[in-house]
Amino acid sequence: MAKVFVVVEHRQGAIRDATFELVTLARELERAFGLEPAAVVIGHNVRHFALTLSKYLPETIVVESEALENFRYETYAAVLKDLIEKETPLVTLCPHSAFGMELFPRLSVETGRPCATDCVKVEMDNLNFVVVRSIYSGKINSRLALGSSGGYLITVRGGSYAPAPEGARAGAIRDVPPPAFDAPFRTEFLGYREAAAGAIDISLAPFLLSIGRGIKDPENIPKAEELAAKLGAVLSCSRPVVDKKWLAKERQVGTSGRTVKPKVYLAMGISGAFQHLAGIKGSGVFIAVNRDSKAPIFRAADYGVVEDMFKIIDALKEKSGR
Amino acid sequence: MCVKKVPDTADAEVVLRPDGRGIKEEDLAFGINEWDNYAVEEAIRIKETHGGRVTVATIGSADSEDVLRRCLAMGADEAIMVEAAPFKGSDPYGIAKGLRGVVAKGSYELVLAGVQAGDDGFGMVAPVLAGYLGWTHATLVTSISLEGTNVAVTRELEGGLEETLRLALPAVLAIQTGINEPRYVSIMGIRKVRSKAIPVLDLAAVGLAAGEVGESANMLREIGLAVPPAGTEAEMIKGTPAEVAQKILDIIRERGGVA
Repeated sequence: MAKVFVVVEHRQGAIRDATFELVTLARELERAFGLEPAAVVIGHNVRHFALTLSKYLPETIVVESEALENFRYETYAAVLKDLIEKETPLVTLCPHSAFGMELFPRLSVETGRPCATDCVKVEMDNLNFVVVRSIYSGKINSRLALGSSGGYLITVRGGSYAPAPEGARAGAIRDVPPPAFDAPFRTEFLGYREAAAGAIDISLAPFLLSIGRGIKDPENIPKAEELAAKLGAVLSCSRPVVDKKWLAKERQVGTSGRTVKPKVYLAMGISGAFQHLAGIKGSGVFIAVNRDSKAPIFRAADYGVVEDMFKIIDALKEKSGR
Repeated sequence: MCVKKVPDTADAEVVLRPDGRGIKEEDLAFGINEWDNYAVEEAIRIKETHGGRVTVATIGSADSEDVLRRCLAMGADEAIMVEAAPFKGSDPYGIAKGLRGVVAKGSYELVLAGVQAGDDGFGMVAPVLAGYLGWTHATLVTSISLEGTNVAVTRELEGGLEETLRLALPAVLAIQTGINEPRYVSIMGIRKVRSKAIPVLDLAAVGLAAGEVGESANMLREIGLAVPPAGTEAEMIKGTPAEVAQKILDIIRERGGVA
């Protein structure tokens, strides 16, 4: 029977949440099409991860080597190429994360198998794969058919599937030796560093006033700062504001910034890219102000206002009367 | 330097064409892909610090010429255009094949591209190109430091974390937004490069034959576009700014228990 592989993403001693979302997808493919799911754990001293995964899936493959201690596409792609060519899974899944984005397109070239990235839905039709991707700033869904091949590679956007609840399975764990690596290596992992460290921890704030691209000009930042002070909110922002260096990285909400869960999230001039929305899951009341009535943020917010953010900022300042 | 011209869809209404095979482009503003703009700036900064030459390439038609001229005005030394027609409808593999041909014609040490394009967002061209060339690569690059025959880079991970890697040259680097502050391009600057020749390469010039790229060669075949299902919509607050502000304050106090 055809297999579906889930590449387990882990970093700094922990399995990353997105892995369990792919477990859900793999189980779906198991239920609907009889594919046999297997987790693939690659690393050094990672057997405890395999024990975790064995509760979720019928089989977990472990490939261990000192050379695999830290993720590098060079060694991980070599392991997966070897494994995929020997075991011929119909599809291999990976999160569309910094890990998957680095690894899977390259693995696609190395294996000659087509790769679809950043998919929000994976469907199967007679052993052919059709995926749905969210394009044009989340405003259009594109359906892609993957060209016929012996096997497929797919990276899946975080949050597209619910994380699997822990199972009571006692799946098999199988050790597979790594292939001989091409020495010398051409890539070297040097270390991690915290990019968003600073004096402010927005993840602790009960009330966030968050600004985005709509702030338009650095000269408008004080307007938002004044309103935040009046409302007793902490000022945060979406990625474009940090990219332009108008606010420090420590204030960025989203996948690559901070994950927050305030009681109130008041978003102004933020269109609602999924990377941003992923950072505010589980927040209390979520109010969005944006000029564009079609902005994706209105699909995530509890309350929406279609209006120029500066008009609302001025009115809020007047009304809040502090 | 690989660049692409894309429509700005972040703040615009995107409407499907009646045939469902694309979007209406007439009312959209096109410009250089945001990620590519940071990549061009980074290439020029590397040149300013370490010397060398910057070549910028795109697979495009006459209407992409302004994007290349803009890169020249920023400080690129030369621009190359690969004729877009045979690449119509190409998936990222087709685009990477075309760029491979451009890279093979020169003697480059470093290829920079944006992490992804603002329209289709595959994030595949740079690592696939590196695979075709047999070069090292890094994606989501947030800093670059050349060290002789190596390059040290930081990559953006999740949750404010970055990692540092060392790669042997030659390398393909996919640049993340925010890596630098791209310089302003003046109309005067663009005028200065107005008459600079931009060679146009056909398919044979990039080492490809008809049928190797374009829709028929695709490994990823688009079979339909649709507006995403509405899902749960926010409850809309209407009224004058003053009325809206009052309602927002009420919600914040009553439902949020703050302010």
